[in-house]
Amino acid sequence: MISNDTALMAHLLRRAGFGANRDELEHYLEMGYDGAVEALLNPTDPGNMPDDLIRRYHVDQSELRDLPGSAAYWMYRMISTSCPMEEKTALFWHGLFATGYTKLNQARSLLNQVEMFRRSGLGSFEELLVELSKDPAMIVWLDNNENHGASINENYGRELLELFSMGIGNYTEEDVKECARAFTGWTLGNAEYMAIRAAKDSIWPYGRIAWHFDYRDEDHDDGEKTFLGETGRFNGEDIIAIIVKQEATARFVATRLFQFFGADEITEAGEKIIEEMMATYFSSGYQIRDMLRTLFHSGFFKSEEARFARVKGPVEMVVGAVRMAGNYRDPYLGIESVSNTMFYMGQGLLRPPTVEGWHEGAEWIDSGVLVERVNFVAKELSNVSSPGVRSIIDRLEAGADQGVLDPSELADGCLDLLGPLQVSDETRSVLVEYASRHGDLDLNGHQPGDQAEQQVGNMLRLVAATREYQLA
Amino acid sequence: MSTQTKSTGIVLDYVKTVGIVNNGYNGRGFANPYDIAVGGDNRIFVLNRCDPLRAAAIRVGICNLDDDYLGEFGRGFGAGDEQFVWPVAMALDSRDRLHITDEHNHRVTIYDTAGNASAKFLSHWGIPGAGDGELNGPAGIAIDSSDVVFVVDQHNSRVQKFASDGKFIANWGSFGSGDGQFNLPWGAAVDNDDNIYIADWRNDRIQKFTNDGEFLAAFGSSGDGEGQFQRPTSVAVDPEGFIYVADWGNERVQVLGPDGSFQLILRGEATVSKWAEAYFESNPEEKAERDISNLLPELPAHLNTPYHISSQTEPFFWGPVSVSLDREGRLYVAETNRHRFQVYQKR
Repeated sequence: MISNDTALMAHLLRRAGFGANRDELEHYLEMGYDGAVEALLNPTDPGNMPDDLIRRYHVDQSELRDLPGSAAYWMYRMISTSCPMEEKTALFWHGLFATGYTKLNQARSLLNQVEMFRRSGLGSFEELLVELSKDPAMIVWLDNNENHGASINENYGRELLELFSMGIGNYTEEDVKECARAFTGWTLGNAEYMAIRAAKDSIWPYGRIAWHFDYRDEDHDDGEKTFLGETGRFNGEDIIAIIVKQEATARFVATRLFQFFGADEITEAGEKIIEEMMATYFSSGYQIRDMLRTLFHSGFFKSEEARFARVKGPVEMVVGAVRMAGNYRDPYLGIESVSNTMFYMGQGLLRPPTVEGWHEGAEWIDSGVLVERVNFVAKELSNVSSPGVRSIIDRLEAGADQGVLDPSELADGCLDLLGPLQVSDETRSVLVEYASRHGDLDLNGHQPGDQAEQQVGNMLRLVAATREYQLA
Repeated sequence: MSTQTKSTGIVLDYVKTVGIVNNGYNGRGFANPYDIAVGGDNRIFVLNRCDPLRAAAIRVGICNLDDDYLGEFGRGFGAGDEQFVWPVAMALDSRDRLHITDEHNHRVTIYDTAGNASAKFLSHWGIPGAGDGELNGPAGIAIDSSDVVFVVDQHNSRVQKFASDGKFIANWGSFGSGDGQFNLPWGAAVDNDDNIYIADWRNDRIQKFTNDGEFLAAFGSSGDGEGQFQRPTSVAVDPEGFIYVADWGNERVQVLGPDGSFQLILRGEATVSKWAEAYFESNPEEKAERDISNLLPELPAHLNTPYHISSQTEPFFWGPVSVSLDREGRLYVAETNRHRFQVYQKR
C-alpha cells in the first residue's frame, strides 16, 4: 500500500524536478513535505557533473560552437544535479522566454542565458526582466541591437509586453512604441561585428566569440515617454518597473507557472490557486519563489485532481528516465545522441520552434512521437545493467517474501518504485497478466543479467509503455 | 601588447599565431587541437581531437612556422589501424617516430615521420585493463633519451614505463593526493636528466619523479595565484630546467624555475594568422567591422571568470591544453577552443 506521504512527495518531485528514484524520494521524505518544498525552492550546491570533467573529454562542450554539444551540456546538468528545481526553473523560463540557436548561431551565449535563469529564475520577476533585457542572446534574437534612438525596432518591446509579461489586450500600440524607445541603446558589445558573424554563421578565424551586454548612452532615446498611463523620461528599468506592477502581469506569470508546475488544464479550483499566486506576487514584491511556494502548499496541488494532470514534456521524459536508470553520470562518448532524442520527441533544448516556445500539454503527444517516447524510456529502464535498475531489482528482492514475488507483487512493486505510479485497474490487469505468463519471480541468488533480472527489466519496459507513465 | 607578467629569470617574446578553424574534413586549419610535437626538421605536428560532428576527420596536421600546410595523416574516428576516438597527446622519439595516445581505444599508435612528406603508420599497442602494462585512458606521453616511453595511465592513477616496442617495464602511482599519488593525471614531460614530470590534473600540481618513479618534488596548489594551478593539462621542460605548464582551468600558461619557483604568466596575445588574413581578404566587410571592434572588452561581473573572459577575448588563450618546445627555444601553446597555436621565443 502506497502511503499518501510517499505519493505526494513523488508528485512534488515530478513537478519541481524530473521525478525521483526511491533513494531520492526517501531523502526528501525525511525532510517532510514543508522541508522538501523549501529545499527545492532554495537550491544550494547542485553537485552536478563538474565543468572541468565535461570539458576534458568533450571538446565540443568546452568550445560550445555547435548546437548538439551545447544541448548535451545542459542535459548533463539536468541529469546530474541534486537541485532539480533549479534546472526545472531554467527549463520553464527557456520555454517562456524562448530564444533559439537557429538565428543566433551562438550557443555559448544561449547557455549564459540559461545560467541567468538558474541565477535569477526563482527571484524577483522585476530583476529577471531586467536581466532578460540585458541578455545578449535575447537582444539578438529579438533585434534589439537594431533598436536605435533615431530609428526604433519594436520587436523586443512588443514581445516583452505580449509574450513575456502582460499578454495581448493589456496595452496599446503606442505603449509598444514607447517601450521600444526606452530600450534603445541596450545592445551587445561589438554589436555590428557580432551581427555580421551571427548572420553569416561565421566561425572565422578562431571559432565563436561569445557575447556580453553593452549600453550605448549615445544611442538611447532619453526623451519623455508615456507608457501605460505614466509619463517620464523612462529608460528600460523604468518600463519594467511599470510592467511588473500591472495586474495583467501578475495573472500572466501566475498562469504560466501554474500550467508548468501545476496542471495543463485550468479548472475552477486551479483558477482559485492562480488568484492566490497573484496575491503572493504582489505581497512578496514579485518573487517567483514565493508564488511557487503558494502553489506547492495549496490544497489543489496536494489533491488527487493535480496528480498526473500534466503531460510530461520530452525533456522531462528523457531526463527523468535517465535519472531513474542512473545512467550518464560520467562523461560518455555519444551523449549528444541522447539529447538529440528530445528533439526527435519535439523539444530540442536551445532550439524552441519560435519565440512563442513550445505548445505543451496534450500537444506533446502524437502517434509518431509516442513511439519515440515509449521506445526511449523502455530502453533505459529495461537495461538491467544500469545502476538505477539494479537498485530497483535489489529493492524488489529486499521487499519480497523469501525472495519470491507473485505476478501481482512484481507489477505493483515496479509501479511503486517507478513512482509510485497510479494506474487504472485495466492497466494493472494487463501488467499482472503479462507477469503471470512467467509465473512467480524468484530473485534468490539472482545474477547480473540473468533470466530473473530480465523479468524485472521486461516489467519495467511494460510500465514505461503505459499511458500513465506519460503523465507527470 | 604583452600579457607576460613578472619575468624574473626568463623572458618569452611572442612570435606569431598559426592556424584557423577547420570546419571541414581535411585541409588547412585545425579542429580542436589537443597537442603539438615539433620534429627535428622543424615540421610541426598538430593533433586534431575534433568534435563529434567532425570526428570522421580526426587526424594529425603538419605545418611549419612559415605557415605552410604540409599535409595530414590518420583515418578518422574508429578503432581500426590509424583510427582514433579520443586522441590526447603525442611524443617523438629519437628516430622521429611519433607516438599518439588514445584514451578511449586505450592504446598508443606509432607513425614513422622520418624522411617522409607525411607519415607512415607502423603499429599500435595497448591492452585495456588495470594489470601491469594494461591501460585505462592513456593520456600524456613522454619519451626519454633512451627512447623509453612513459604513459600517463589516467584512470589507473599511475604512470607506466614501456620499452619502445610497448613492452612493459614498470609503473608507479595510486589514486590520492599524497606524494606520488594522482587524481586523473594528464600531461607528461622528460627533462635533460631524464626525470619525469606529470601534470597531476585534478590535484592541481606538477609532480617530478626520477626515471624509475621515485618521487622528487611537487609544485603548485589549487588556485589562480602565481604558481597556483587550475587543472594543469600539460608540462614541458627546457634544457635549462624551466618548467612550462598549461594552466588550462586558468586559461593561461605559467613558467616555473627548475626549483618550482614562479617565473611568469602568459595569458595569450594572438594576432591574425596568415591563414586568417586570407579569410579576411575574401570577407572585407567582416574585416572592416572587426577592425573597429574592441576585442579586449571589459565584461560584466558574472562573466568574470577565466573561461568566460577567454570565450569573449579572442587574443587570449582559450583552452590552452598543451605546451611544447622545439630545439630552438620556442614554446608552442595549442588552444583547443581557438583552433590555433601561439608561438613564443625564449630569449
